Amino acid sequence: MIHVDQLSKTYGAVDAISGVSFKVQAGAVVGLLGPNGAGKTTTMRILCGCIGATAGTATINGQDVALAPAAVKSAIGYLPETPPLYGHMVVRDFIRFAATIKGVSDVEGATDAVIQTVGLDHDVGGLPASERIISHLSKGYQQRVGLAQALVHDPAVLVLDEPTSGLDPAQRRDLRDLLKRLARAQNRTVILSTHVLAEVEAICDEVVIISGGRVVAQDSIEALRGTGSMIRLRVGQPSDDLVDTLSALRGVSEVVDEGEGRLQLTVGADVRADVAREAAVFDLLELSQSEGLEDIYLRLTGGQA
Amino acid sequence: MTPILAIARREVAAFFATPVGWLCLTAFAAISGFFFAMMATEFSVQATTAAYNPYVAEQINLNDWLIQPFFANTSVVLLMLSPALSMRLFAEDRANKSLELLLSSPVTSGQIVLGKFLGALGFVSVMLASTLPLTGMLYWLGTPDTGILLSCYLSAFLLAASFLSVGLLTSAMTENQIVALVTGFALLLVLWVLSWAETIAGGALGQVLAGISMLSHLDQLLKGLFHLADAVYFITFVGVFLFATTQRVEAFRWR
Repeated sequence: MIHVDQLSKTYGAVDAISGVSFKVQAGAVVGLLGPNGAGKTTTMRILCGCIGATAGTATINGQDVALAPAAVKSAIGYLPETPPLYGHMVVRDFIRFAATIKGVSDVEGATDAVIQTVGLDHDVGGLPASERIISHLSKGYQQRVGLAQALVHDPAVLVLDEPTSGLDPAQRRDLRDLLKRLARAQNRTVILSTHVLAEVEAICDEVVIISGGRVVAQDSIEALRGTGSMIRLRVGQPSDDLVDTLSALRGVSEVVDEGEGRLQLTVGADVRADVAREAAVFDLLELSQSEGLEDIYLRLTGGQA
Repeated sequence: MTPILAIARREVAAFFATPVGWLCLTAFAAISGFFFAMMATEFSVQATTAAYNPYVAEQINLNDWLIQPFFANTSVVLLMLSPALSMRLFAEDRANKSLELLLSSPVTSGQIVLGKFLGALGFVSVMLASTLPLTGMLYWLGTPDTGILLSCYLSAFLLAASFLSVGLLTSAMTENQIVALVTGFALLLVLWVLSWAETIAGGALGQVLAGISMLSHLDQLLKGLFHLADAVYFITFVGVFLFATTQRVEAFRWR
């Protein structure tokens, strides 16, 4: 579906991204993670045809963004970090305008549909949000208008650059729920960048972690968790036999008996299934990977925020 | 509706939604009204004199004494107001990040530039239309030459198109509207008075400078003399600046 191959972008002497490569399957919801300045926005802007790459290719449905920009742009909906809005316009007029320049044939129908989809038909101060002037709306509703312009042409791919940044917790929760619905309901491919790891865990199937302009990891969240280096477990029947058995497992480099049935394993691979099977004989009570997504993210990005 | 017309329509609506648009419209209508009143008064004085002097009566007519001076002055007002109208066309979009909507949509840079240009030209046409009651009054007062009147409106329209094409380019060069305004006005002023350098430079260079200057092409149109060369000049002028602006917008993608 989306294939990014050795993508590079240079601004003067500065490499914004350098050799970024990843693939996204159709219908996947992918979180693009990385510290500020890692190159997430640059990658997204190249994907959406807003800027060109210095080297490398990005294809969507087999079509190169640089060679067939119109076809690619018709297939993509893009919500930048700052929603691209004309504040003086009425929401409905703005969405109509976006639909027209995106080549939608039934502008009125698409406008009505997207207003309902993103919840702009809700009353705000006695009028539906869709009939209000954009600059008079809250930031949460403005973000929904931004989402509406990205969705109005029913794109197969949705690219969202930090869609919940600057929102209060309630607005963030509402928008997160909306994004979850949008991603799941229509089998749409979604690429989402964010700093909120809980959001990624809640919405995404996979993550691509970018640091210093390069991809440092791409995998499913589950598999990334499996690369965590610590497993803690507690059993009901402590035994030296269990320690010996676990120590002999492939991928386990050290087992520390902490007493009262608690063991800490240092691992180099995802061995949770093997550990659970062996520990079950000794009444397994708890098993957890000690690294969360946040720890993994910090380890892979060198601890940059 | 095509994307170009949609962009143009949005730009026209934006002028009416912002104070700058209304200020320019009001200022244009007020200043042109003032000029018209002054010239009509002067014409009336001269016409009264002419009643007692057959020689003056032969010289005086609506076309030379009112229509042409009025449109010559209107041209200067357009020169001053056009950069104020065009300054926001790209600079505002870039500063507000709303340009991302256009750049990520399946429209070409040429369509974006043409849409914005036509929108601004549409608004200037409304400004020019605000003078219709004034020129309409001439038919009540006397018998103006309709051909000259139409030629004057055409010259004002072509001039406005030229001014806006320059302003569009300077707006695309910066995110700061004031910088776009000042550079646009300075560039227009240079192009406006280039013909004055004809006498200083002399020879072939002087002729080239006069050929580039707007003033030398405007004179004939204001007299009601429609030369193809003048029309080609203005259309080429607009084409060159729109092309340069399109290249500038393309450069946004490749910086």
